[in-house]
Amino acid sequence: MAIELGGGRMMNKRTAKLIAIGVIVAGTLVAESRKEYHFTVGPKSGVSVMNPYGSISVRPSLNNTVTVNAILHSDKVEVDNNQSGNRVDIQSHLLPGADAESGRVDYEVLVPADCSITLHSTTGPLRAEKLHGDVTLEGSGATVDVRDISDAHVHVKTMNGPVNLNNVQNGHVEVDSLSGEVTLNRVTGPLVQVVSTSGRINYIGDFGNSGEYRLTSHSGDIEATIPEWTSADVSARSVRGEVHDDIPLQPKTHTWFAMDKGRAFAGTMGRVAASSTVVLRTFSGKIHLRKRSDK
Amino acid sequence: MNCVELEKSLAEIEDASRAEQRAHLKTCPACSALVAELNRIASAAWQLQAADEPSPRVWNSIEIALRQEGLIHPPRADRRPVSSFNARWGRAGWLVPLAAALLIAIGIYLRPHSAAPGQQAQSDVRKPVPEIVAGLNDDDFLQEVADSAPGMRVQWEDNLRRANDYIRDAQSVVDENPNDAEARRSLLDAYQQKAMLFEMAMDRSLP
Repeated sequence: MAIELGGGRMMNKRTAKLIAIGVIVAGTLVAESRKEYHFTVGPKSGVSVMNPYGSISVRPSLNNTVTVNAILHSDKVEVDNNQSGNRVDIQSHLLPGADAESGRVDYEVLVPADCSITLHSTTGPLRAEKLHGDVTLEGSGATVDVRDISDAHVHVKTMNGPVNLNNVQNGHVEVDSLSGEVTLNRVTGPLVQVVSTSGRINYIGDFGNSGEYRLTSHSGDIEATIPEWTSADVSARSVRGEVHDDIPLQPKTHTWFAMDKGRAFAGTMGRVAASSTVVLRTFSGKIHLRKRSDK
Repeated sequence: MNCVELEKSLAEIEDASRAEQRAHLKTCPACSALVAELNRIASAAWQLQAADEPSPRVWNSIEIALRQEGLIHPPRADRRPVSSFNARWGRAGWLVPLAAALLIAIGIYLRPHSAAPGQQAQSDVRKPVPEIVAGLNDDDFLQEVADSAPGMRVQWEDNLRRANDYIRDAQSVVDENPNDAEARRSLLDAYQQKAMLFEMAMDRSLP
């Protein structure tokens, strides 16, 4: 079927549709813009990115340069950038009329591996990987993904955004999430603490050689999946929920809380001389200490 | 020297050792009783342990008394406290009540092991989460969220309810087991979760 263009010219309807789609896509691309910034920093630098809407991803760079690539989804947002000594601040500045769509900026940031980063985004996602500087990520609904971090402080706060930490070694880890699900896979360090109100907490790992691990929730379930050879001093308690223990523990003779059957257990496993302290607490959730099956 | 003059003179010479003071005290049983009471309080103060800190209810009572004296004022009905607070303090406005909330929670956490569990359970009653926690009013918070992001009000409301449930349940465990350090720590965690929620609401930045 053909469409008359005028002047006696005819166009195939399918062709007309393709042209129309092309114009729309081109229009979108025109509204979107890219910005790139480069900053030279010294050792132990700091970078913060404040971005109400959109993703922020941080990876290590190969030199002492901070590189920021920003994709702005409309002209209703602009990127403010500032360097003060060894500190770089990036902020998405929303203009009047901006909303979650038009105010969106997606960032890809490369930083020196020893750089400390602070990321804020309401929507996220937030990602950080392969760094050994401090990592602070906050976002009410943002999905947080942190991996391959070592020898650093990791602080995460979300309201309902899920949190995933993978391979965080020798870290000082603190996660607060009101209702987001928190998953820690191979996370070890002198302190690992997760507090959740109603989110589920999953720990998969071996609790390291020594350290203090505290997983607390109000109504969320807590599940720890650990190998049989783990060395840990474990105590678990649920005020109104149930506790289950798949791994035999040397029971403690004295505890300062009542050992109500089915609501609490406490004991040691593995080598006491080199073991971590593990505290699992929930008010009404379930606690399950599972044995990992190594296949 | 009369009674009024004696009371004024106690500000300078607390132990009423001056001759005129002693002479008045011999003839005035009321002033004599007052001086004896003051001396008893002074000597007992030395024996107070550092751990005998006032409970949060004391701070609330102080606030009520200050309001009655007109030294602090409740928010006016035609202005939302959150907005006026923000107008005065800017974006840092929430930090003050948040800090106060955390201090109160820390005070609860550090409360001494003084009372026996049975006695404490008998004297305390199950307390609902107060509408105002250290100046943080839930209704004002939800109003602020509704004004800034009406589409997300349900989400924030749901999370606020969860946080309040946490505080309520944690408080009940502390009430039942006041010597349980873990219970106090859970209560502190609960307050921190709520403080985090308020902080996140403040951090949203629509133009």
